[in-house]
Amino acid sequence: MTTLSNHVPDPRLITAYAEHRDSPLHRVNPWTKFSIVGALVLAVTVADALVILAGLYAATLVAYGIAGLPYRRLGLWYTLPLLFIVSVAGPLAFLEPGTSIGGAIGTPLGELSVTWEGAILFAELSCRSLTVVTFTLTATMTTRYADIAYLLGRMLPNPIDQVALLTYRFTFVMVETLEDLVKAVLARGATLSEFWANRRTYARILGMTLLTAIERSERLVKSMEARGYDGDITLYGDVPRPSLRGLAGVALCYVAVVGYALVAVYGVVSL
Amino acid sequence: MAHIHLGEGSFPLWALVLWTLVGVGLIGVVTYRVRKGGIKTHQIALAGIGAAASFAIFQLNLPVWGGIHMNLTGLVGILAGPALGALIALVVNIFSAALGHGAVGLLGANTLVNATEAVVAYYIFKTLMRMDWDIFPASASAATIGLSAGAVLMGAIIVISGVNGSALPRADLTIAVAGLVGLNLGVAVIEGILTGFVVQFLASVRPDLVGLGDRQQGEEDLSGVTA
Repeated sequence: MTTLSNHVPDPRLITAYAEHRDSPLHRVNPWTKFSIVGALVLAVTVADALVILAGLYAATLVAYGIAGLPYRRLGLWYTLPLLFIVSVAGPLAFLEPGTSIGGAIGTPLGELSVTWEGAILFAELSCRSLTVVTFTLTATMTTRYADIAYLLGRMLPNPIDQVALLTYRFTFVMVETLEDLVKAVLARGATLSEFWANRRTYARILGMTLLTAIERSERLVKSMEARGYDGDITLYGDVPRPSLRGLAGVALCYVAVVGYALVAVYGVVSL
Repeated sequence: MAHIHLGEGSFPLWALVLWTLVGVGLIGVVTYRVRKGGIKTHQIALAGIGAAASFAIFQLNLPVWGGIHMNLTGLVGILAGPALGALIALVVNIFSAALGHGAVGLLGANTLVNATEAVVAYYIFKTLMRMDWDIFPASASAATIGLSAGAVLMGAIIVISGVNGSALPRADLTIAVAGLVGLNLGVAVIEGILTGFVVQFLASVRPDLVGLGDRQQGEEDLSGVTA
């Protein structure tokens, strides 16, 4: 039976964790968390040792746990990132030149074997990807709706910020609309277990979702214009600047990553 | 909706910088054109809620090959036009990356791929409709061609960039990526057919949305923004 997927994070659940839970990470300034995501992206891009990458991944898992977030859900949400890794790093594990692990399998195209280098590359790519996925989810699940909206409004240029703010607001509505449409067709006896046989039903569900979106946007226009919309959705919230301690922590992260890259990876600076 | 099927940190730093700059350049040009043409309230509302719908549709698991997810980027391009389609692609990618799907550092590359899908689908659809094609074959073909262009671009980006930490020669990497592109082309055909049915359904209830009704102001204006 087709339902909304449990291996794609549900924005409603993500927001519920941010709004109704409390942890040390919930109290960290959103700008600080956002800056650390940037530092982690840089770190996993420049780091070239499996030990360091595994350490970074372990650290983000600990941060996720400190925030009181569910590991079982995280495991389900790893499905798509892991699928991405397997789809390219899987073949690379076989094709990467190096010493083979165990014996080779005979195929019509020749002998095929996983090499140590390929296996290490697979592990590295997994750690790189899952590190940022885990911390990004930690950040979104510990940052309140109003704060994320504020960051979107401040960081994106007009009119992208307006589009993003409306998207954020209506994502919850559209997910519920889609869920209701799926429930409705299932209640009327439809079985969605086979795509081709039900292609028109799927088209109706998706078409109705889009139609609802478009009609809602038409109503929204009237409401926006009635309230004097002039190209700017006013945000009443405010996210203060990070504390001195937070700034120092972020600066330390970037200095550590850039320093490591200059010394250990690119050899620009020798100690 | 094709994605760079690699996680965070898979590209070397120079490639990350390059694709980010290209993505920023593309969105910069689109934003300039949209601002110059004077974006209207209904276009902002359509783009915002269209992106929300596209993002929501991704939550639906379609029972093909064990389960696939779609954003219907081609459909978004057909309905919203090339400029809004590109902005929707960016916003959907930002929200996807925030939920761990699609890398934060590859936002530029992913936006480039998805904007290509939306833009190509839009222009193919308009061309086929001008040639008096029926709505279903026109929209299905447009979406399939748009998504295929995105899949090929995605493969090209990976091959040009190389994979961080891999010593594999580009020729061998091309072979590894070709399988992935092939898989995406298969999904493009399925998504194209589904898009065809969706557009056919929309045309039956709201023909104005696909330029078949009275509301012909949906034609592309100078800014490349429709709907």
